[in-house]
Amino acid sequence: MTFSAQPDLPRRYLESDRARDLMVRLIRLVFPHDVLPDSAYERTADSLLLLSTQSNRMMLAVSRGLDSLDDLDTLEHLDRLDHQNTLTHQNTLNARSERAGDFLALPADAATRALHRIEHTDFFTFVLGNAVLTLYNLPEVWQALGYEGASVAKGGYLTRGFDDLDWLPEVRVEEYQGDLSRVSVGPLAHPVGPGAVKTEPAGAADAAGRTDSEVSADDEVTL
Amino acid sequence: MTRIDQDDPAVVIIGSGAGGGTLAHELTRRGVPVVLLEAGAHIGTEEFVNDEWDAFGQLAWLDPRTSSGSWRIARDFPHLPAWVVKSVGGSTTHWAGSTPRILEHELQARSTYGDVPGAQLLDWPLTLAELAPYYDRAEIALGSSHRHGRPALPANNNYTVFATGAARVGYNFYATGPTATNAAPYDGRPGTTQGGFNFEGDQTHATWSTLVREIPRAEATGNLDLRPNSQAVQITHDRHGRADGVLYLDVHDHVHRQRTRVVAVAGNAIETPRLLLLSASAQFPDGLANSSGQLGRHYMRHTTGAVFARFERPVHFYRGETMAGVIADEARHDPERGFVGGYYLQTLALGPAFLAAFADPGAWGRDFTRLLDGYDHTAGLWIVGEDMPRAGNRVTLNQSVTDTHGLPVANVHVDEHPNDDAMRRHAYQQAELLYDAVGALSVHRTPPFPSMHNLGTARMSVRPADGVTNSYGRTHDVPNLFVSDGSVFTTSTSASPTLTIVALAMRQADYILDLFARGQL
Repeated sequence: MTFSAQPDLPRRYLESDRARDLMVRLIRLVFPHDVLPDSAYERTADSLLLLSTQSNRMMLAVSRGLDSLDDLDTLEHLDRLDHQNTLTHQNTLNARSERAGDFLALPADAATRALHRIEHTDFFTFVLGNAVLTLYNLPEVWQALGYEGASVAKGGYLTRGFDDLDWLPEVRVEEYQGDLSRVSVGPLAHPVGPGAVKTEPAGAADAAGRTDSEVSADDEVTL
Repeated sequence: MTRIDQDDPAVVIIGSGAGGGTLAHELTRRGVPVVLLEAGAHIGTEEFVNDEWDAFGQLAWLDPRTSSGSWRIARDFPHLPAWVVKSVGGSTTHWAGSTPRILEHELQARSTYGDVPGAQLLDWPLTLAELAPYYDRAEIALGSSHRHGRPALPANNNYTVFATGAARVGYNFYATGPTATNAAPYDGRPGTTQGGFNFEGDQTHATWSTLVREIPRAEATGNLDLRPNSQAVQITHDRHGRADGVLYLDVHDHVHRQRTRVVAVAGNAIETPRLLLLSASAQFPDGLANSSGQLGRHYMRHTTGAVFARFERPVHFYRGETMAGVIADEARHDPERGFVGGYYLQTLALGPAFLAAFADPGAWGRDFTRLLDGYDHTAGLWIVGEDMPRAGNRVTLNQSVTDTHGLPVANVHVDEHPNDDAMRRHAYQQAELLYDAVGALSVHRTPPFPSMHNLGTARMSVRPADGVTNSYGRTHDVPNLFVSDGSVFTTSTSASPTLTIVALAMRQADYILDLFARGQL
């Protein structure tokens, strides 16, 4: 059977239960949250499956990408044999022919590790790029994360908690009125950094326990 | 509604944002008829939506663009180098409201910073004293808080974390403004309801925009002919090299021609050079007003980045104004820090949809989702600092990609200057100290978003060889062609640009009226 005889084969696959199960699993691995309802992942999967049928390029990439996820199970299996130094040409062939992989059966950590093999494919970037737009735009996800959504019809947050933070002291809202002049050229007249001002001695700067130079050494800019 | 005949040589302004909208208001209120061409639709504030992606789809300039260079945007958002608005009111409809003035020494960037290798710094052909009266007028128009008797905004939760950290690390020059959001009713606009959604268009009118102030007032004079859905595609000139017409497309792609007496281009720093490049002719083979070769060069964004911090206890940072406060202590030139120029820190809040999309593009897995899991315990700030002008950072026409009209799109090329990188590292570090001082459990560094501040592509210069316009935004080459947006910034400075764009447009209006009075235009 070939695609030319069955031009709707990739589309039919994308409409199958197996494809949906794989897509749900994949999105859950890409954006794992303990607090989200299953429906959030299912709705995102349905949306992505529908979107993937809108162009031939994505229909082919996504159907092939999903259908070949099971191979990741086999590849992970071979990696385990390799780590145990039991990998031979023969059992490679055996594993490839006998072990019908099942991506859904892979534990989450192994499945996540396996996904790094394909994270630069068109398929994966399609899923990543569209799932991030879809999943986090769902009202049930907002609710689970503690976001309240549209506010204008409710009169904003003026009387609904815009200033209800109660674990810090009140802060100044006016501009500085003290004796210092704002420096526009040159160093500040006083040091800036943890413990520079002792207005709040219980200062959490100490909790972090980091000095200025350690911060710069530890945290490389990720650009 | 006023109609100006297409055969009447009119004052034509292209773009209705901070620069174009202000110029239109200043001219029409003093009796000058104006045709205002706006590429986007006229969307009423009642049509705005409190939903990040829906509002993005409604307002953002989504016509294709391309990008190249070493900046991360070229990888993360290759077709969206800038996050600006295509609708009447331009990007003033989605801005957060910060209104700092440029500092004296920033206007003399070349003299103050010296020769920075790899950067083409220049002093502005302007002093702060010349700008000051216009800054006053602009602050009064925008209703800047903390200025001219306008009260401070109250502290929202995000600001409380921000200001507490600022005080604990030893900063002094922090406050809830100045910002162009009303704390109390002013100028016919109400006080803020602290609704958030600044980037989605303000339905309440508490935040200033040309959509709610300058454009309706200009229309009320009877001198404004506002033409939405009109994309300017070429400026023509006569044999004396004076602009004599603007060609524009309507929604049906039909070409119209408006005869012109004066043309002012205010399409933001990407579309403005694109339009002038599209207007190349036998007299101006490299693009209109580009005899210097400087048009499109020195594109600057601002050195930006964001930092989000998670706390043990709730913050709910999305409640209330996005721009709820600013720290100015680092907005100074202090090469001891390892870079020239300075930066501001200001509060930033995003909904889960935007936070997920922009926090770390391309990231996935537990490390990524942990950031979202802490959403309601998160505080955030944005870095906005001076960006180096580089001749190679430029807007050009991409001859192999066309828009829906069939015209070459703009390509935006940026190779980051080492100064930008050093400044961003410093700002990330200071932000981490600040949040650590309030007990942050974790702090996340976010790379720049598609650029909201776009500057420098038709820069003002004393010498015609160094830039595109004089200090009034009048092009060196074409006497009746002006540039009226952030394209004219000689350097980016560290200030959010809107207030200065408005002040410069007011100054330009006085200049144009003076030239009219003298019969010189």
